[in-house]
Amino acid sequence: MTLLTLKDVTKAYAGVPALRGVDLSVAPGEIHALMGENGAGKSTLIKILAGVVSPDRAEIRLDGQPIEIGSPRRAHALGLRFIHQEFNVVPALSVAENIFMGRRYPRRAGVFVDWKRLNLAARETLEKLGITHIDPAQALGSLTLGDQMLVRISSAFIGEEGTPARLYVLDEPTAALSASEAERLFAVLRQLRTSGASVLYVSHRLDEVMAICDMATVMRDGRSIDTGKIADITHDDLVALMIGRRVEEAYPPVKAPPQSEIVLSVKGLPVLTGPPISFAVQAGEVLGIAGVANSGQGELLRKLFGDAPSPAGTLSLSGQNYRPRSPADAWRAGVAYIPRERRSEGLIVSRPIFENTTLPHLAAQSRWTVFLAPRREKRLAGEQGQSVRLKASSQNQRVRELSGGNQQKVVFAKALLGKPRLLLLDEPTRGVDVGAKFDIYTIIRDMTAQGMGVILVSSDLPELLGMSDRIAIMRDGAITEIVAAKGLNEERLLNLCYGRATG
Amino acid sequence: MLNFLRRYGTLIGFAAILIFFWASLPDTFMTARNWLNISQQMSMLIVVAAGMTIVMVMGDFDLSVGSMASLAGIVVAILFTQDYPIWAAVSLALLVGLIGGAINGGLIAFVGILPFVATLATLAMLSGAAFVVSGGKTISGRAIPEEFGNFARGGIPLGEWSGVAVSLPNLTLVALVVALLVWMLLEQTTFGRRLYAIGGNIEAAHLSGVAVRKLKLIAFALTGSTAALAGIMYASRVASANPTQGSGLMLNAIAAVFLGSTLSEHGEPRLLYTIVGVLVLGVLDNGLTQMNVDSYVRQILVGGIIILAVSTSSLTKGLRSR
Repeated sequence: MTLLTLKDVTKAYAGVPALRGVDLSVAPGEIHALMGENGAGKSTLIKILAGVVSPDRAEIRLDGQPIEIGSPRRAHALGLRFIHQEFNVVPALSVAENIFMGRRYPRRAGVFVDWKRLNLAARETLEKLGITHIDPAQALGSLTLGDQMLVRISSAFIGEEGTPARLYVLDEPTAALSASEAERLFAVLRQLRTSGASVLYVSHRLDEVMAICDMATVMRDGRSIDTGKIADITHDDLVALMIGRRVEEAYPPVKAPPQSEIVLSVKGLPVLTGPPISFAVQAGEVLGIAGVANSGQGELLRKLFGDAPSPAGTLSLSGQNYRPRSPADAWRAGVAYIPRERRSEGLIVSRPIFENTTLPHLAAQSRWTVFLAPRREKRLAGEQGQSVRLKASSQNQRVRELSGGNQQKVVFAKALLGKPRLLLLDEPTRGVDVGAKFDIYTIIRDMTAQGMGVILVSSDLPELLGMSDRIAIMRDGAITEIVAAKGLNEERLLNLCYGRATG
Repeated sequence: MLNFLRRYGTLIGFAAILIFFWASLPDTFMTARNWLNISQQMSMLIVVAAGMTIVMVMGDFDLSVGSMASLAGIVVAILFTQDYPIWAAVSLALLVGLIGGAINGGLIAFVGILPFVATLATLAMLSGAAFVVSGGKTISGRAIPEEFGNFARGGIPLGEWSGVAVSLPNLTLVALVVALLVWMLLEQTTFGRRLYAIGGNIEAAHLSGVAVRKLKLIAFALTGSTAALAGIMYASRVASANPTQGSGLMLNAIAAVFLGSTLSEHGEPRLLYTIVGVLVLGVLDNGLTQMNVDSYVRQILVGGIIILAVSTSSLTKGLRSR
């Protein structure tokens, strides 16, 4: 018995095939993982299910009955619910209003919105997901990204009269969530499974898929490659299926140990409302920063980068006084920054690759700092692109047209073009597929081997453990501890983040 | 096909307009004399639209250019009545434009007021200032030096064209020089590249070390200066100044940039396309005037064409992304 069956789904955009025949079947009460690298066709498949894109050819059955989806409204009527990576929310409205957006608000006298009942209903919806720390009357924009995502998710779980939800499609739902927020989501998904609903779960994070999914379908180059029970498959098998080859190690080996020379020294820097922070980064070292979401990791990086200048505290870079008052100062001093939000902070997607790559270094790459030298720029950007294994048809290609992994490589090329001494990374592999992830780790290893210092902020614990030499634990704006990464495991690291005693 | 229409729709429309006027006005339209005439009529708009392109590249716009042009014309004329030499009066009027534009830029970049609100407010203030300074009267007659008025009437002789002497009007020359300078600035310098970066993604530009605030201030100051220059050109052309003579420039300049941006591959404003936008408006104006079409009807037509061009562009874009 299956809930949803897709057979031979085919779709081409302007003659370029995106899907070349995908088969997928989801059973009732099942959490089914849909996996594949960026560009494998997952998004297209989901858009077809959502009724946003119409397939060239497809056989879709729900409960064994052939159906046509055709429009988002129809998809909703069929009981399909979608939770996308990019949330459609109105930050200025309250949490409750966002949850019930597009639905009828409870009324008084048929005209006036009954705010009390609306907030109460929102609170109940949130509580069903075990979320008690969010006030429904609060403006959505005042919440953290992770909390906003939880609100967004909870809105898809509202029961409605007439059209019960049959299948939830979640596209990278944990991309913006911290570990504890993700755990909360997983609990909800398990609860849904018990109630008989199915989940199609799209994620890059293998560990998550292994932990909560029952089945997995792997896509590659627009085809469904294999479907199997999660219980019968290993982590390495999944990776091999996704990229079509076996990866021996998830993290490339260290090429050279850290040197004794200090690249960055921080003394008495206040972050959030915590006590002043002091630490140092050695040449060739990766200093990981761990902690639950919003412990001040992002602000620390922005202070080091001059985006949130701080009057207090002393910074020095290779022994010289460093007091950045703007990102421009930081770039000039040899500090590069890879921001958390690739599309909104890292890239100008409407501009060509080379313009993005040279933007922070434009003065140095032009004639008399004024006149552009596009040929030289393209050559330099091309060389840097090659060194980060960027795949693009030309340097004139708009960044918008690249896959997520390649976009992130443009961000890296931009950061590395000026040969920085210190590289600040905020979630550098978020939303990046497995192959590109490995490339990015290799770039980091290459850079540290040349003596660059790296600060790596990440919520991906295996990544922190695999890439860092030492890991600093941040809590409420303070660094509580700095530990060697060697000999640490995920459980102990998580305990350190939560400040629990370890046994 | 759709993409073709989106990209070249404006050009096709332009060609259709040309052919229509050429057929309707076979004796007068497609002549060197008429085209030089069009270029002179359009010279002020070219200068203002070029300046407008600078701020629109960043995704901003400046509503105050029209009243800035009026004020600059008044300032030049008032200084003439005080017996200032031409070079000094023109320089001071340009300085007024630079300062006014810098005030716009300061309000937007450093105080954080939306361009729409900030320049709407300065539009009102500059317009009021023009009335106050002039006392609400047109300044003309003997106060305006003859050389000043002669400049607009003069030109560089180009020889004879089917028996009629033609020359390149000085105002056209000024407009071409301004267009060339703005083109260089936007397409050939780091300044222009950074403006496009700001227009693409202001946060990413800031994090990439672009001094967003400083550049915005400079950009608005340049736009103010071009508006002032256009006002001076206008005063020279009519050898007089009145406090409302620049009022039509703002809408036409914004329209020209929008029309032009429908031509560019990714919809961003570019100077050469802005010039095409100005030409479309100019040819339409010239041809309809020659056909004795009422000027109010002309306004309706111009508005319709803008809606047509921009909606063709955005509708086909919407279809393509599906």
